[in-house]
Amino acid sequence: MRRETMRVSDDPERTPRGKGGRAPDVFQPGGWIPMREYEDGERVDFAIVGTGAGGGTLACRLAEMGFSVVAFDVGPWWRPLEDFASDETHQQKLYWTDERICDGADPLVLGANNSGRSVGGSTVHFAMVSLRFRPAWFKARTLLGYGVDWPLDWREMWRYYGEVEQALKISGPVNYPWGPKRPRYPYRPHELNAAATVLAKGAEAMGIAWAPTPLATVSAPRGNSPPCVYRGFCVSGCSTNAKQSALITWIPRAVRAGAEIRDLAMVGRIETDAASGRVSGVHYHREGHWRFQKARNVVVAGYAIETPRLLLNSASARHPDGLANGSGLVGKNLMVQSNQAVFGTLDEEVRWYKGPPSLAITEHWNYADQGKDFFGGYCYMSQGALPVAWSGILAGRGLWGEKLRQEMENYNHQAGLKIVGEVLPDERNRVTLAAEKDRFGLPVARVTFSYGENDRKLIRHALGFMRQSLEAAGAREVWDQEDDTCHLNGTARMGNDARSSVVDADCRSWDVPNLWVCDGSVFPTVGGVNPSLTIQAIACRTADRIRALAARGEL
Amino acid sequence: MSERYPGYDVLAKRGTPSWNEQTRRVIDQRLALPREPRFFGAEEFRTLEAVCARIMPQPRSRPPVPIAAMIDAKLREGRGDGYRDHRLPPMGEAWRHGLHAIGAEAQRRHGARFDALEPAEQDALLQAAQDGRLAPAAWQGMDCALFFAKRLLPDIVTSYYGHPAAWSEIGFGGPASPRGYVRMDFDRRDPWEAAEAKPGHERDAARDNARVG
Amino acid sequence: MRRRGATPALRDAPRALGTAGAMLALSALADSAVEHYRGSFHNKFMYLPLGVAALTLAACAREAAGARARPRSSSIDRLAMATGIVGTGFHVYNIGKRPGGFSWLNLFYAAPLGAPGALLLAGLLHRIGARLGEGRRDICGVRAGPALAGLVSASLIATSAEAALLHFRGAFQNPAMLIPVTAPPVAAALLARAAVTPQRHHPGTRWSLRLLAAVGLLGSGFHAYGIGRCMGGWRNWSQNLLSGPPLPAPPAFTALAIAGLAALGLIEKERR
Repeated sequence: MRRETMRVSDDPERTPRGKGGRAPDVFQPGGWIPMREYEDGERVDFAIVGTGAGGGTLACRLAEMGFSVVAFDVGPWWRPLEDFASDETHQQKLYWTDERICDGADPLVLGANNSGRSVGGSTVHFAMVSLRFRPAWFKARTLLGYGVDWPLDWREMWRYYGEVEQALKISGPVNYPWGPKRPRYPYRPHELNAAATVLAKGAEAMGIAWAPTPLATVSAPRGNSPPCVYRGFCVSGCSTNAKQSALITWIPRAVRAGAEIRDLAMVGRIETDAASGRVSGVHYHREGHWRFQKARNVVVAGYAIETPRLLLNSASARHPDGLANGSGLVGKNLMVQSNQAVFGTLDEEVRWYKGPPSLAITEHWNYADQGKDFFGGYCYMSQGALPVAWSGILAGRGLWGEKLRQEMENYNHQAGLKIVGEVLPDERNRVTLAAEKDRFGLPVARVTFSYGENDRKLIRHALGFMRQSLEAAGAREVWDQEDDTCHLNGTARMGNDARSSVVDADCRSWDVPNLWVCDGSVFPTVGGVNPSLTIQAIACRTADRIRALAARGEL
Repeated sequence: MSERYPGYDVLAKRGTPSWNEQTRRVIDQRLALPREPRFFGAEEFRTLEAVCARIMPQPRSRPPVPIAAMIDAKLREGRGDGYRDHRLPPMGEAWRHGLHAIGAEAQRRHGARFDALEPAEQDALLQAAQDGRLAPAAWQGMDCALFFAKRLLPDIVTSYYGHPAAWSEIGFGGPASPRGYVRMDFDRRDPWEAAEAKPGHERDAARDNARVG
Repeated sequence: MRRRGATPALRDAPRALGTAGAMLALSALADSAVEHYRGSFHNKFMYLPLGVAALTLAACAREAAGARARPRSSSIDRLAMATGIVGTGFHVYNIGKRPGGFSWLNLFYAAPLGAPGALLLAGLLHRIGARLGEGRRDICGVRAGPALAGLVSASLIATSAEAALLHFRGAFQNPAMLIPVTAPPVAAALLARAAVTPQRHHPGTRWSLRLLAAVGLLGSGFHAYGIGRCMGGWRNWSQNLLSGPPLPAPPAFTALAIAGLAALGLIEKERR
């Protein structure tokens, strides 16, 4: 019914746009840019599954280095200027809406908070929060006594963070209050809206530092991107191209460098050569048929549910437990981040629908180690839920009838503080295959998750602190939103040892030397910050490592 | 029309830079939604409409938002959430079970269809479902409290607040592209935003809202 | 009307200063109207600079047209100067009271620190022009040429700093944004040097001031281009005229350049 007024050939959800030697020019309504195309039978250097923060970045960097790259995404290739409406319900087309089963003691809510389906992946709908890891987290076990150590050095990552921040022209504060010195953010911070000022006032009342959030949306013109107009529909897709998603940054660069992006292409299985055990290409479904693309290397970048799902679905006689699963860890150690919040009502009009949802942040509890009865950290940010999302949050309180309508009428007086909180790795939290099949005939993912004791302590601490802070900022009738998570990581973790990890520091799988994983699945711990900047930094590093290995003939 | 935002209508901005072409297309389709069910049977739909009227009571001063029809359309399109709590069946099945169970409970309690009950009786039944106090037999293994919390309530509520009439009611700015917002501070509005009626100054708000565009 | 008792040099300076004052007053009128409208006139004092700028504009325009300053124009000038000073006080308060106080964020987005100064300058320049027209040869005990040059130099630095702040906020994303942070300081330095050296003629300084005058007008052209680059361009004028680059701001450099040329003229004639 949605498509009644669009010609089928125009519909990016029905007909691939990345074909016929051209790709959509996302900056020109109806425009195209030339795109190199490879034959399925041509053995390309890299077949990349997924074009989000991991796959899109890697496709760009590898193509710019001269490798032949074909990247696949099951999602559509949107033209934001034309395809995106200012309507939350319609824009749910950006989220993964194929079935997944959620169980465990705390079954996850997927969709808007963690699962996109687009060329550009979840960066098309993400809230643009672009934060660096606290350096100590890369040695969480050694320095902070929890979790595991990453096989990466923070100083090396610091350089890659800078590269990504420059590539996306992150708009951030002139001075960042936490962590070691970093280069100045390329663009200046955005103005605070009233909701963000509430966070700032509350933070000052509690005696902690706060900052305007570093965001991947521009505060001044950048190339074809206009500055943000503060329309507030960010997590429903940016229709002005101010948001520097992978769709408008890495992907166009990748295409210009000679990569091919295939939209509406679901990779269902990675083929391995029976004799050598190496991967030989990917089976993908596009325009009604299954096809096979030969490749010298396959990179899986489908994010923390689809990546293990694909690896498990690619089991063979040689790899009976799934590809790259010699450690048995594929799918295990699923981590989300806790996303609890406090909300309250102010006498003043706040009208939090104006501007990106999280214009102010404090990372105080990521860097303070005293005053905590838990391991790990959390940041918290101001909020700005649009009506459909907000009504869902109030429904989560069990409100209905007149009570709900009256609460909703206070819409323009709400303020909130929401955490991105660290969750510890636990092997019992995992992605496995369910018996149900999806529309491609592939087993759907079962996502099992339960909080641990440390996770609950962190949440309690955060809710208590934020409540005080929000009340100090003048809010009344403050209540806790206790049931929300965000992001997905850990299900193909990196490490130094093949027995306790799936990939090495270069994102190369231990078991299959030409199989790589490059997305949030590789995180051994998740930290207390949004993962997108770290995923892109890892992708930039992986590209450099691949170039070095290729030069030495070790690819 | 809202008392908080008298005279405010987001649709008044349809021809302004606040709406783009795709938004007009999408909202036009939503406003033109057929009212007859195409997923539910007639009886199921009657029950659903009655449930919606209690969960989301609507002001009588304007035509009602067709919540039941919106849910029916969502289920017919099969556009899912992308995940499912393992304790619940897929959403279409869950709704059918739920509506039948509610109908059966109405018969059991009052010997009448749900939509024929008094509002107070309907509310009591729905409250019992929310509290998980309904007899499980009619629910075919589906937990009624879970169905209420994860399907019934959110589906109804998010449908309602996905409709322009509800946006006008709560003073939401509505669609905003290419024109977004300039004034982001406390107690500041752009001329194309809703004006809130302050006690004693309702006429000022109505006058400002008439000029929204 | 011919002025009696004034030398030929001084005959031109009052007119130039009237022009400069008029341009500054017009810029202040337009800019404060737009910015205070954006601020919703939430404080009733925000109407004041509009009225005062309009009065100042009218007074200066007469002078610019060649008429002699009226006696009561001195009260308008004092009103303009007072409004500029008080306005600066309000703006400082507006910046400081926000969370973070005098942070980069508040300097970027709260009330612009240097903006009310335009009104102060308009009144000051007009006053100086009027006194020169009456035959006075010095300003506060200093010879008119160097005194005016000093004032204009300092004003150019301050105005350039304001542009630098806002162009820094814009990340200097367009190379042209470097112009108002380079051309004015160069002109200011040259003018200040002209005020203190014994040299008689200053063609380089004169040209740098003429260039600066063009820069001021060019700036509005660039700002118009900038508004066009915002989402929705000119069609979205109801947003972009407010949040885009300010159209009336750059001609302040033109005004100061005209005042600077008047100062230079005075200096050169005084050296004869």
